[in-house]
Amino acid sequence: MKNSSSYTAIAYLFLAPALILMGLFTFWPVGYNAYLAFNDYSIADATATWNNFAHFKYLYEEDLFHSALKNSLLFLLVVPVIQVSALLVAKLVNNKLPAMTFFRAAYYIPVITAISIAGVVWLNVYKYDGILTWFLQSLGLIDEQVNWLGEPKIAIYMVMIFTFWKGIGYYMVLYLAGLQSIPTEVEEAAILDGANAWQRFWKITVPMVKPTILLCTLLSTIAALKSFQEVVVLTRGQADTYTALYYVYAQAFTNFNFGRAAAAGLVVTFFCVLLAVLQFRFFGEKK
Amino acid sequence: MSKKLTKVVELTGQYAGLIAFAIFTTFPFLWALSVALSEDPSNIWLFPRSFLPTDPGWAWFVRVFNEIQFMTYLKNSAWISLCTIVGTVLVSVLAGYPLARLRFPGRGLIFIAIIGTMMLPSEVAIIPNFVTLKHLGDWSTALLGFKLTGLNTYSGVFLPTVAGAFGIFLMKQAFEQIPQDLIDAARVDGAKELQILWRVMVPVSAPSIAALAIFTLVNAWNEFIWTGIVIQDKAMLPLSVGMFNDLTGPFAVSTSMVMAGIVLSVVPVLIFFALTQRYFISGLDGAVK
Repeated sequence: MKNSSSYTAIAYLFLAPALILMGLFTFWPVGYNAYLAFNDYSIADATATWNNFAHFKYLYEEDLFHSALKNSLLFLLVVPVIQVSALLVAKLVNNKLPAMTFFRAAYYIPVITAISIAGVVWLNVYKYDGILTWFLQSLGLIDEQVNWLGEPKIAIYMVMIFTFWKGIGYYMVLYLAGLQSIPTEVEEAAILDGANAWQRFWKITVPMVKPTILLCTLLSTIAALKSFQEVVVLTRGQADTYTALYYVYAQAFTNFNFGRAAAAGLVVTFFCVLLAVLQFRFFGEKK
Repeated sequence: MSKKLTKVVELTGQYAGLIAFAIFTTFPFLWALSVALSEDPSNIWLFPRSFLPTDPGWAWFVRVFNEIQFMTYLKNSAWISLCTIVGTVLVSVLAGYPLARLRFPGRGLIFIAIIGTMMLPSEVAIIPNFVTLKHLGDWSTALLGFKLTGLNTYSGVFLPTVAGAFGIFLMKQAFEQIPQDLIDAARVDGAKELQILWRVMVPVSAPSIAALAIFTLVNAWNEFIWTGIVIQDKAMLPLSVGMFNDLTGPFAVSTSMVMAGIVLSVVPVLIFFALTQRYFISGLDGAVK
């Protein structure tokens, strides 16, 4: 690395496009969003007026926002399920048997499909006379047809299943990368010592891919708290499926109340940064 | 003998698990394909019969081409994705080089600021960016007489997404692995920094750039929320938004047509994936390390 002041100008010149765009579309929104949160914003004449914390008082009282926050926390249920399954699936496809490329590809297809397009198919899967009803009926688990996305008690879990289906391939690939860095000798030695598959999984695989497990858990926790696209696509918030960010989205672009949406967005940002800092400390200590 | 038997049982169990999970991840598309190919839609809600096409034919696909602007959406998707890729690669390569290879005041701070944006929920920026874009459009119309950027322009769709922590970080990592000798040799030959970047760093980092381009393509192609907010003109919509609007709106009454539309939308992605599969695994691998 050269140490010369003549590089300062050229360095900033190279960084300029990134800094300008990030400043305008990533950093400025943080400040402007905070500003909007304390104002009533009129879209027609683009004016903002101070309203003495009215949005926050409103959010503090409103049941819809509370249930949106509750649902976002409920979404965290996806995290352990998707992590354990992704690791198991990665373990299954991590070998030299025939057709493994095919299976990896099959598991990755939901990841590369647009969420809107995949959502349209799942709308039909979840119809009262759709595949899910048929499947559970033929297993003898339910008697009558269920409108899966219309029942307030179960709709949010159906959205989570969709999230699971859409995301598992992504984490599988991350785990696969972690698994491939384990030397094969380790596992072979364990087999010679008479360890069964269950023991090998818990005593070798899990400790060896621990860094990947931590990374994937962090990623999927953040993703779960921020989930709202699946709600846009599947239920539009009906049947008690509002999540925190869906609330932000709906307030902004259905109600056109930018100020209230910004206030709710500020609450979400607060939780995300808090979580990131906590995880950062956690990771820091591990190192 | 018994060892061989356990081996067989183990293998059978493994493949049974693999196949069961493959059915779980692909059944919606298999059903969609079968429904789309069934010219006679009377069996589509009869399971498991509906997984085999009834009266197979292309009629529903033909109707999609005739009644939905599929080719327009496809062209728009390609154009938006191309612009996003070029922008992202350009911005990330330019920013990654000084962060990896030049020493200048403020370097550490800038890098932390860029990485720090990863913890911000980018979805919250949608509202401020919408307002910013509206103003940019108004100013550009007032100053230049036309809309350089703003609402309902493609630059409004991709400009907010091209400068991202992921791309800059990926390129910085790639540039850090290049031996210093290569750069020193180029400097001795009198090369300017831009020449070093373009003739030394970029060719050597081609695999990383390819990985970044592919990830950007998938993200840009599938982007749905922001594009739906910025673009109001139906003829300018990409597949992810246009097909969703059409298939959940005016054409939702015909499940057969919806499924034909779905299959057509997924096919380009599958072809692309089949061609570039190796990059998805190696690219992610690099990003994790």
